[in-house]
Amino acid sequence: MKTLRNLLGATAVSSMMATGAIADGHGWSLAEAAKPYAGTTVDVVFLLRPGYEAIEAMLPVFEEATGIKINIIKHPYENALGEQVRDFVAGGDLDIALIDLVWMGNFAENEWVLPLADVQAKFPDIVDPTLDLDDFFPLVLNAFGGWNDTIYGLPVDNYSGLMFYNRCMLEEAGFDGPPSTWQELKDVYGPALTKDGKYAFALQSKRNETQSADSFARVLWPFGGSFLDENFRSNLLSEESQAGLQFRQDLMQYMPDGIVAYDHAETVNAFSQGDVAMITEWSAFYSSVVSADTSKVADCVEIAPEPMGPAGRKPALGGFSMAVASQADEAEQAAAYLFIQWATSAENAREYLERGGVPARQSVYQQDGLEAFKFVPALVESWQDGVPEFRPRFAEWPEITEIVQEWGTKMMLGEVTTVEGAEEIGTRMEAVLDAAGYYSGDKPLAQ
Amino acid sequence: MTSTRSLWTQIALLVVIITVCVFPFYWMVTTSLKTQIVALESPPVWLFEPTLDNYREALFEDGVLQTLLNSLVIAVSTTVLALILGVPAAFALARFEFRGKKDLWFWFITNRMVSPIVLALPFFLIARNLGLLDKHITLILIYLTFNLPIVIWIVTDQFRGIPYDLDEAARLEGASQFTIMRRICLPLAMPGVAVSAIFSFIFSWNELMFGLILTRTEAKTAPAMAVSFMEGYNLPYGKIMATSTLIVIPVLIFALIASKQLVRGLTMGAVK
Amino acid sequence: MRGQVSRKTVFAFIGPAVIGLAVVGIAPLLYAVWTSLHFYNLTKLKRVEFIGLENYMTVLTDAVFWQAMGRTFFLLGTALPLQLALGLMIALVLHQPGLTLIKTLCRLSLVLPMATTYAVVGLLGQVMFNQKFGVVNQLLGGADINWIGDPENAFAMIIFWDVWQWTPFVALVLLAGLTMVPGEVEEAARLETKSKWTVLRYVQLPFLLPGLVAVLILRTADTLKLFDMVFTLTRGGPGSSTEFISLMIQRVGFRGFDQGLASAQAIILLIITIILAQIYIRVFYKEV
Repeated sequence: MKTLRNLLGATAVSSMMATGAIADGHGWSLAEAAKPYAGTTVDVVFLLRPGYEAIEAMLPVFEEATGIKINIIKHPYENALGEQVRDFVAGGDLDIALIDLVWMGNFAENEWVLPLADVQAKFPDIVDPTLDLDDFFPLVLNAFGGWNDTIYGLPVDNYSGLMFYNRCMLEEAGFDGPPSTWQELKDVYGPALTKDGKYAFALQSKRNETQSADSFARVLWPFGGSFLDENFRSNLLSEESQAGLQFRQDLMQYMPDGIVAYDHAETVNAFSQGDVAMITEWSAFYSSVVSADTSKVADCVEIAPEPMGPAGRKPALGGFSMAVASQADEAEQAAAYLFIQWATSAENAREYLERGGVPARQSVYQQDGLEAFKFVPALVESWQDGVPEFRPRFAEWPEITEIVQEWGTKMMLGEVTTVEGAEEIGTRMEAVLDAAGYYSGDKPLAQ
Repeated sequence: MTSTRSLWTQIALLVVIITVCVFPFYWMVTTSLKTQIVALESPPVWLFEPTLDNYREALFEDGVLQTLLNSLVIAVSTTVLALILGVPAAFALARFEFRGKKDLWFWFITNRMVSPIVLALPFFLIARNLGLLDKHITLILIYLTFNLPIVIWIVTDQFRGIPYDLDEAARLEGASQFTIMRRICLPLAMPGVAVSAIFSFIFSWNELMFGLILTRTEAKTAPAMAVSFMEGYNLPYGKIMATSTLIVIPVLIFALIASKQLVRGLTMGAVK
Repeated sequence: MRGQVSRKTVFAFIGPAVIGLAVVGIAPLLYAVWTSLHFYNLTKLKRVEFIGLENYMTVLTDAVFWQAMGRTFFLLGTALPLQLALGLMIALVLHQPGLTLIKTLCRLSLVLPMATTYAVVGLLGQVMFNQKFGVVNQLLGGADINWIGDPENAFAMIIFWDVWQWTPFVALVLLAGLTMVPGEVEEAARLETKSKWTVLRYVQLPFLLPGLVAVLILRTADTLKLFDMVFTLTRGGPGSSTEFISLMIQRVGFRGFDQGLASAQAIILLIITIILAQIYIRVFYKEV
């Protein structure tokens, strides 16, 4: 019964696509390419975030057309790395790796994922001629899906840091626009907006990846600082890095108490409840702050790119790509590739966007009718010159991020000074890199 | 003999105790009936229009129902297994004399003190190699590490309290040790057995760590499910409380019905 | 003659339990010991190598490890006395005659906290102690205390929940002890002296002692294992102010993926637990 239905469905879709294909003159169709793999189940980890919900909503079309079943295993971000690592280490079922950009070095070096080109060479028939890798924002494709000049995955869940601000609160305080620099935010907007139980700004800083990515890194780069210098030694004691870290300390007076325990949910909530005037958060939270169901300030929300520092605008960069797992068997590899290709295709990008996702295709942002998505201009601008190594993506990152998280939060709590904290992080970071062989030349200095 | 004033003080104290114990549950249930916007009201509201949406979503859309069933199956099975293995062992420890008895007892008991963290990853890797991940049987077995000690601790004491004469009488009639245990001692030890079963069930139902690590979708336990709602994206407090209520209510009802035995059991291994 | 049975019988009765526990208890433990002697990082499995006791040395000289241990014992040292004091008070009140209806209600209520899933306690704590919409601040007269985000307040919160959850246990254990005091002895004592304290000290205490010992052992072991409630409530934060030993090991092993180090930590923890248990039992438990 099911196969009959699938067959009918596949026939229906393939005839539709065949018509389309004839019109295009390409002769490639998803249903055709997927035929040998119908009935395969592909296991993949998804996060509990809007982009993934969008894909899930669109899934039936794919499954109908191909007969491939996508088995989605949902995890909170916190557990996603651990689950996948354990799965790959123990030879499990996952056929697709969902890769946070900072896990890229890890996954690639452990050979848990296959280079895209390899998969394409192995199964030439499943490659869509309209794939058009150049259509992806180069920064995004390389940072999320590439390592050591090889592309492994295609970017699926893409973020840029954006400034969300409450236009109403700003107007009330006499501002007709958001701050353009961090300095302005602290010196001018800070005092004016922090009063009567309201705060000017909130910077999510919880002691997990949020501290490293959202809090720590965010104040390093715009001030000219960085984690490492060219020799892969700690650069946290440099003047620029210290300036950034000290800036964050000073900015805390305009943030809610207990900001060190704020993760994304708390920060977005504080903004949505009208308690905080400005936040710099991931683009993905756009749908949440403009929806009346979850936000009291939906009508007052405006988007701008993140403020600039002395070294320019270096917005936070984050996102996930999907790559084919090397532990998958042949059919699963092909099926997985088809799914990844489909989910990140230019054709589907518009629908993905409309359902709450953020595609990384340049073509979709050149289309008309995107005014409802206020974040698009800021996003496109951010992806023009963000920093790929916003957070180093090498295999040692999991260890190093733990160090940054611990001492970054200690700095914010005032338990150590920025200098002491930087020293601690520096020493420990270098110990990790030393043990990994970066200084003795065993490992290339790639991040 | 008690003066009226001290009577009133007692009543006041008792009421305070009851309130402190019960209030968090009251708050949990009321929050579970709130929509997200209401739940985030500051200061919190006590009167509002309740909604069952959180429960409906959690149970039917998010799969909490399945996890509750998993927890049930696992808790019951591991309890039964612990009893099957533990009761004879307790009998042996109470009745027989043999070398190393004391150390064996100590080893059983210390197992309960082992932090699950020690066992979590090794068990994960072993289970993976045997293809036992995300299966009920895996949890049923690993929960023995704390269920078996409980059963043995409580039931051994229970058996010890039974007069030996009954045993001897049966022995004279040629009964085997097994028959003695089954026919004579077990019926008398039922209170203790029941108590250990209750404890075993409660601890298995409540267990979190192994549930998080060793299950994924098929055998996911309810506590693991509750925790997974806490993604950093948007904390659905109402739903989290609804799931929590669903997890807690069955065990609470169970505990209340069996409260007398529970109290007795607490003191079983303790007051000796 | 009493208790003498054939070897076979002993094996038959105790064997299955031993085997069962050995499989699920010992096998993983041995594996943990093995990993503790190696450099074993899940994301660096190519570099597994035998390093002997190096992990242990790292642990024993790691300030962070001892801070976590210290924090854990500090928690024990503050929560346990509170539980004992409150538990004793409750037991004494319940022990007095009269008011049976309320007393039964009270006893029933006391069972509730103990049976609650620890993870749920943590989640509940997040909702109740939230600075903005938490009911605790509201009940404190509209206070604006930051519980979860302040290192000291967060610790206090953990103590609160630990006391809430386990004082009933202490109370009921002590109550059982009190009920074992022979009625006549107690009455006689009360006639002799008006001092409640004297009655407590000389008449009731001996019957409370076994219960106190059990409480001591169980609470110590459980505090060293404490994970679920703190994990869901604060994840060990803010900073590391509520990072107790189990949380730390979990972080090292499951977020840092350094299984070798985590195993060494866990084994050291196990040794400490066993030593403490041995001390308690040797010193207090008269018989086995």
